[in-house]
Amino acid sequence: MPPFVSFFLRRLLGALPVLIVVLVGSFLLLEAASGDAVDSYVARSGAMDAEQMAQLRQEWGLDQGPLHRFRAYASALAQGDLGWSTAFERPVGSVIAERLPVTLLLMGIATALAFFLGSLLGVLAGARPGSFRDRFLSITSLALYAVPGFWLGLVLIVIFAVDLRWLPIGGIETVASGKSGLARIGDIAAHLVLPVASLAMVYMALYLRLMRDRMGEIWRDPFVRALEARGLSRRRIVWRHVARNAVLPVVTMLGLQAAAMLGGSVVVESVFAIPGFGRLAAEAVARRDTPLLLGVILCSAVTVIIANLLVDLAYGKLDPRVRAGR
Amino acid sequence: MIFWRQMNFEGRAGLILLAILVLMALLAPLLAPGDPLAITGEPMLRPFTSGTHMLGTDRLGRDVLAGLLHGTRTTLLVAFSSAAVALIAGSIVGTLAGFLGGIADTVLMRITEAFQTVPGFLLALASISVTGPSVATLIFAISLGNWTQAARVTRAEVLSLRERDFVAAARTLGMRPLEIAFREILPNAFGPTASLAAISVAAAILIEAALSFLGFGDPNRVTWGSMIAEGRAVLRAAPYLSIVPGLALVITVLGIHLIGRGLSRTERLQP
Amino acid sequence: MSEPYLRIRNLTVDYGGTAALQDVSLQLAKGGRLALIGESGSGKSTLAMAIAGLLPRRARSGGTIEFPALPRQPSLGKDIGVLFQDPSGSLDPVMTIGDQIAEVVMTHRGLSWISARLMAAELLDRVHIPKPLSRLNSYPHEFSGGQKQRIALAAALAGNPSLLIADEPTSALDTVVQRHIVNLLDELVRDNGLTLLFVTHDIALASERADTIGVLYKGKLVECGPTAGVLGEPEHAYTKALIATHISLDMPRRKRLAEINADGLQ
Repeated sequence: MPPFVSFFLRRLLGALPVLIVVLVGSFLLLEAASGDAVDSYVARSGAMDAEQMAQLRQEWGLDQGPLHRFRAYASALAQGDLGWSTAFERPVGSVIAERLPVTLLLMGIATALAFFLGSLLGVLAGARPGSFRDRFLSITSLALYAVPGFWLGLVLIVIFAVDLRWLPIGGIETVASGKSGLARIGDIAAHLVLPVASLAMVYMALYLRLMRDRMGEIWRDPFVRALEARGLSRRRIVWRHVARNAVLPVVTMLGLQAAAMLGGSVVVESVFAIPGFGRLAAEAVARRDTPLLLGVILCSAVTVIIANLLVDLAYGKLDPRVRAGR
Repeated sequence: MIFWRQMNFEGRAGLILLAILVLMALLAPLLAPGDPLAITGEPMLRPFTSGTHMLGTDRLGRDVLAGLLHGTRTTLLVAFSSAAVALIAGSIVGTLAGFLGGIADTVLMRITEAFQTVPGFLLALASISVTGPSVATLIFAISLGNWTQAARVTRAEVLSLRERDFVAAARTLGMRPLEIAFREILPNAFGPTASLAAISVAAAILIEAALSFLGFGDPNRVTWGSMIAEGRAVLRAAPYLSIVPGLALVITVLGIHLIGRGLSRTERLQP
Repeated sequence: MSEPYLRIRNLTVDYGGTAALQDVSLQLAKGGRLALIGESGSGKSTLAMAIAGLLPRRARSGGTIEFPALPRQPSLGKDIGVLFQDPSGSLDPVMTIGDQIAEVVMTHRGLSWISARLMAAELLDRVHIPKPLSRLNSYPHEFSGGQKQRIALAAALAGNPSLLIADEPTSALDTVVQRHIVNLLDELVRDNGLTLLFVTHDIALASERADTIGVLYKGKLVECGPTAGVLGEPEHAYTKALIATHISLDMPRRKRLAEINADGLQ
């Protein structure tokens, strides 16, 4: 087994206790809910007498004790079965599998954009601490950092979709457009521009500030003076040394923000009517679909764990001191 | 006053913004008497066109300014309370973990890690789905995803403090371990945690807004998030109905961040 | 007497109100070895940094620093190499040492990347890092303090400078390693015909290795001349006091420069 794979597996195994805590915790929380799936089913589909309800409860295994329900859920889970979604009347696994890719695409592009633009602008600001450019970028990023993503989405819709009509208002692609291949990719890309922008903007501001602040600290590090004493060009010192050192905590932050971004996608996807994983969470709550909500929580925990794993791998590549310590 | 003098320009700007917001919240019943959810005029009045409705009315004829003022109350109440709950709960967990060590530490940190792994917004959603939306349950739901950082910071602080002299002194005086933890260590570990407050409050404001935007907020209270959602229905005709309460959100969060930066200049603890 | 390598006239430096150097004038011949001695805060490091042109931005300076032997204004790295006290603080922790030396070679000698890397290996060999070619891709944290200082020295010499300024190059190292670094410095200075200026608070080291000694006290150059003369017939009371407390290099360092009663000096 290559070391990369064994590291991956070892880390996943290490995350198992955390996953179990997540499972138990969310199950307890949802057990506390008043009313169950049958109640919500009845509320939606209209009249049903008590006998029919009891029958449905038995069918869905809701008449047993909580411990039994948990055990049944956990053993099904071990076999890869996430349960039955009462709202969609399909297996939870298949609903999530259908919705997750869109969200991963959205988050992936938003993260990449926020990271590259944020750290790039952060270098520009941090190259000369205290300069006009630095102050301008710092204040702008502070203001952007205060903007809620979903509201930014609405503002962008008003400007670019309603007034200018440059971009579509929502959805992930034009319905029944009959497009395929490159045309379809272009169509999806056009639909993604605004949601990605609203999701990425806050994080771009965060990474900008982090990069800038960290560069300010690195400038005071004695090794920078040693580099100056070797007569290296300012540009080389800024980009190859100071920025290179300052990017490390930004990469760490990338992992820490994975959960927050997934949470942010819930609202952004609702604003742009994107049929993604985030909106699924809101739908599960609104439709009282307990198994679906459990599945969503569990899958988001796994997503966050994997995202952090990837970040750790990247960090190990970037910081030789960590590589040696492993 | 000493506090004011220690602050830099940014911190002072933030304090002024926050003071204005607190005033808005306190004076809301005087400036806009009556129920902000009541219909008081013609629907869809544009801002600055009517003397009685300065900022216009929404699609049902509710006064936007009244909503904005009363929304300040909900926002500040929920955000500050949930940040306080989160910080206190986090500090307690962190103190226990750091002080007890061993298995208790491992278990508590696993739980903390688990809470960090699930997006805070999903935790809040799940919690609201169980308890139903009200101010108290919102406060609880938001703090659920917000306490972990305080726990980590406090734990680290406790680990460095527990070897210090005054703890050893308390031990020789015969204080019980938990007594030492909560009477000697926690108060000393609280400093760094307090600087997390700004981040927690800002996060709480944004989560509350997002929850009420999705319709999971307290239905009996007007909030900025619900106003944005309300305005969204007429986004084409009257975009300002969504934009104005959003601006209020931006200004509030910006004010909190400015205070946080002002604090971190004096303490240098913010990330 | 031929043109000196370095000539300083009436140099004054102050850090926003507090004077660090007052009216310092000195000359250094080509190939000479000047040791600047004095206690902490005497201004010896400030003088070295002023010559290198590395004073902090808030520093205000007056007077002239000239390099008559050089055809142009000296540039850092190319004409002047600087070695600092803290070896860990001289190297970028996340760049391989090969790259760190090679980038200096590239900047000042206009070589291609590959030739610069080869030159880096050669430089590492000259500072006695074993198996230099295979260590090019190692990172600073993989070396000991003494080795890091050698690598920093290699980087300082990578631009082939004619003057080496060493600011207490050994005081962060332990005694045995100090010897090695000092011997290495000696060897390199001799082999390359370098002019050397080193700052130390170690009078024994200065007497062994320098041909000229400058004594700084409270920002003033109170004495400057050939080593034998300064140490044999000190004129200034402070120098006398320094020599009186002089103890050989093998003694524990903290005893070497005992407290000197500053009252009644100057």
